[in-house]
Amino acid sequence: MTEIKLREVKTLKYLRPTIERGYANQTLHVDLSTSEISIKPLEEKVKEIFVGGRGFCLWFLWNAVKGSTKWNDPENAICISSGPLGGTPTYPGSGKSIVTSISPTTGSVMDSNVGGYFGPYLKFSGFDAIELRGKATGDVIILIDGISQKVQLFQAPELPDMAHEISHILTQHFAQGKPRNVSVVSTGPGAKHTLMGCLNFSWYDTGRGRARYKQAGRGGIGSVFSDKGIKALVSCWDKVTVKTNNPANEEELKKVAKMHSREIVELDPRQNDMARVGTTHLVEIMNDHDCLPVKNFRYGQDPRAPNLGQEVFRRIFDKGFDGCWIGCTVACSHGVKDFVPVTGPYKGKRVFVDGPEYETIAGCGSNLGIFDPYTVTEMNFYCDTYGLDTISVGTSMAFVMECFETGLINEKHTGGLDLSFGNRAGALELLHQMAAGRGFGRVVGRGVRQMKKIFAEEYGADPDAIQDIGMEAKGLEFSEYMTKESLAQQGGYGLTLKGPQHDEAWLIFLDMVHNYMPTFEQKAEALYWFPMFRTWFGLCGLCKLPWNDIVPEDNKDTKEPAKVIKHVKWYAEFFGAVTGRSVEPGDLITMSEAVYDFQRIFNLKMGFGTSEHDNIPYRAMGPVTVDEYESRRERYDKQLVEVYGVEINGKSTGEKLRLLRKIREQMYEKLKEAVYKRRGWNENGIPTLETVKRLRIDFPEVLEVLKAHGVEK
Amino acid sequence: MIKVGKKIIPWREGMSVADLLNDLKDPYAYPVVKVNGKLVSRIDFEKTLISDNSEVYLIPMVAGG
Repeated sequence: MTEIKLREVKTLKYLRPTIERGYANQTLHVDLSTSEISIKPLEEKVKEIFVGGRGFCLWFLWNAVKGSTKWNDPENAICISSGPLGGTPTYPGSGKSIVTSISPTTGSVMDSNVGGYFGPYLKFSGFDAIELRGKATGDVIILIDGISQKVQLFQAPELPDMAHEISHILTQHFAQGKPRNVSVVSTGPGAKHTLMGCLNFSWYDTGRGRARYKQAGRGGIGSVFSDKGIKALVSCWDKVTVKTNNPANEEELKKVAKMHSREIVELDPRQNDMARVGTTHLVEIMNDHDCLPVKNFRYGQDPRAPNLGQEVFRRIFDKGFDGCWIGCTVACSHGVKDFVPVTGPYKGKRVFVDGPEYETIAGCGSNLGIFDPYTVTEMNFYCDTYGLDTISVGTSMAFVMECFETGLINEKHTGGLDLSFGNRAGALELLHQMAAGRGFGRVVGRGVRQMKKIFAEEYGADPDAIQDIGMEAKGLEFSEYMTKESLAQQGGYGLTLKGPQHDEAWLIFLDMVHNYMPTFEQKAEALYWFPMFRTWFGLCGLCKLPWNDIVPEDNKDTKEPAKVIKHVKWYAEFFGAVTGRSVEPGDLITMSEAVYDFQRIFNLKMGFGTSEHDNIPYRAMGPVTVDEYESRRERYDKQLVEVYGVEINGKSTGEKLRLLRKIREQMYEKLKEAVYKRRGWNENGIPTLETVKRLRIDFPEVLEVLKAHGVEK
Repeated sequence: MIKVGKKIIPWREGMSVADLLNDLKDPYAYPVVKVNGKLVSRIDFEKTLISDNSEVYLIPMVAGG
């Protein structure tokens, strides 16, 4: 075992409360500037309105920051919370946590969800949420030890930088013979040198005898963590049973958990087979539906996509149980054992890689024109251990590669790197540069929005061209789905709270395949309820996958197949069984809407949150270049003629391109209007006074923000 | 014979996934079906032939990601 030196700075001993119906009823607050550790009771009103998880995190963050707070100001906070249902070992997908902070790339509030044991262990140790403020001098770790009932702040100057090493060493150090009792949150050197740092949340894989991890990737919260001088958080807890969360009705809980768990065991092998291939099944399905991003979202298909598909990863993944929470039957967190990188500091050494999942494969593979599963696996390994978000890395590199190939930037800017699409060595070298803050990697690590500015102002690139192809909105890089042919999914990305991330709304199949929402009003309806359901999972400490990724076989015969209402009813029962609050399926939406609209107003407080910030680059709406139009000419010509009644005879591709663009941009604006109306927001995308009153979030400080933007009586 | 979930369907020479769905009179817009453990997307329903004694699952997929 590696010996580590920790110097105790502060210790707070406390009496661990009994968990009551999923809540510890108190929260933990650490000020790193003063080394102050405090415990505060959870107000009933906060519990009632914000529920838990993302709701709690947003509330504490709102109270921590001013409208002028920047991501690296000491008052910016990192908040982490699971939720009242989080930590249930029998119900599939019940170990999630949410992290919030002011993002370095968007400048506004960011939420990111993640598996691993930290959130549930934090709660069982006596805290529904942790808020981290201030900045430490030197590297520190914070231990929340629910077994010994103490919170400790240590200086840890000698810990390694790489996340997989930190997770391993701290797990061993605090395990006292039981490594499963420990969960570590850490980041890596890439978080320090870029704005797209991720957090790795560990879980102990008993079968393989190693600490593994999942990532809170989006929005650069790892960079905030690093800037605060936090090397790691550690939570320790002992055995977890159904009783640990002290549910209101244990028998009801066991009953509903058993039903959902059994259904997954029965149906998953017949459907996506996620227990064996994770989300890699999506690669070929997306490719077949022209939705797999290829070469910076230019195309949705490539004949080489099967090289990155589920049958390849089925062979590469190490066989065994891969649940990121105890007892989850989806168990989709697969990994690659004894992988040997061919570049970087671990070149030639055997490592374990957690992943890849679909997003990483598409982002660091197809979107870069790379169709080699081993390069993707190596990118995955280094992104995680460097503490970098694979989605932002992939989308940023894809943008750079297109700029390089089209001459918007050249080797003079890249420091001699050939960043043509498909250049595996170039992509890996750029990743190592980003992590080390060297060369062109320093520029790419700032993300697409800042690169657009640098390329235009310093490199002389055409600002309009890079605006069209730079795939970010609100400052966050797009996740990995092509949206050109799904207006609803364009809204699913553009009309989000934090930026284009699919965890809020994934409507591609509902829109494109099933055609459930042909009208603007129907699309707006889906863009109302779908994000609310997904928000609810983030409030409660749950994974979204069991809701609608594994579907009852008779779901298609129900009144509203899109909602998978059988599962929604189970979730309402699950919530009631744990918290004792009797709810109907419709209540899940109301609970979420209060938090959702609060987050929208939070954006407003930070200087965003209005219609202009809901715009997306044209590449997300349609073909930017003649080449793109020509690649799907039949489709676009047919749409112009048959759907929009445009006479195209004698028109050049360039003319048709401009006509299509005008139409699609108008449609997106029309969709925005319909969505705002359905959500109870005004024409500028701001929740109305009636809406905030209905949702009971009409706190004085909320009304003050609204008033400052002209929303008042 | 082809096993489709719990149903048994007669097989015929040259039968495609599209033919099977037609025989089942199931108008649902399946994006994907699974034939002998392999996923087949809708775009390939017409050209994917099913062999005798195949096992097919119709996947009512609504989400992903």
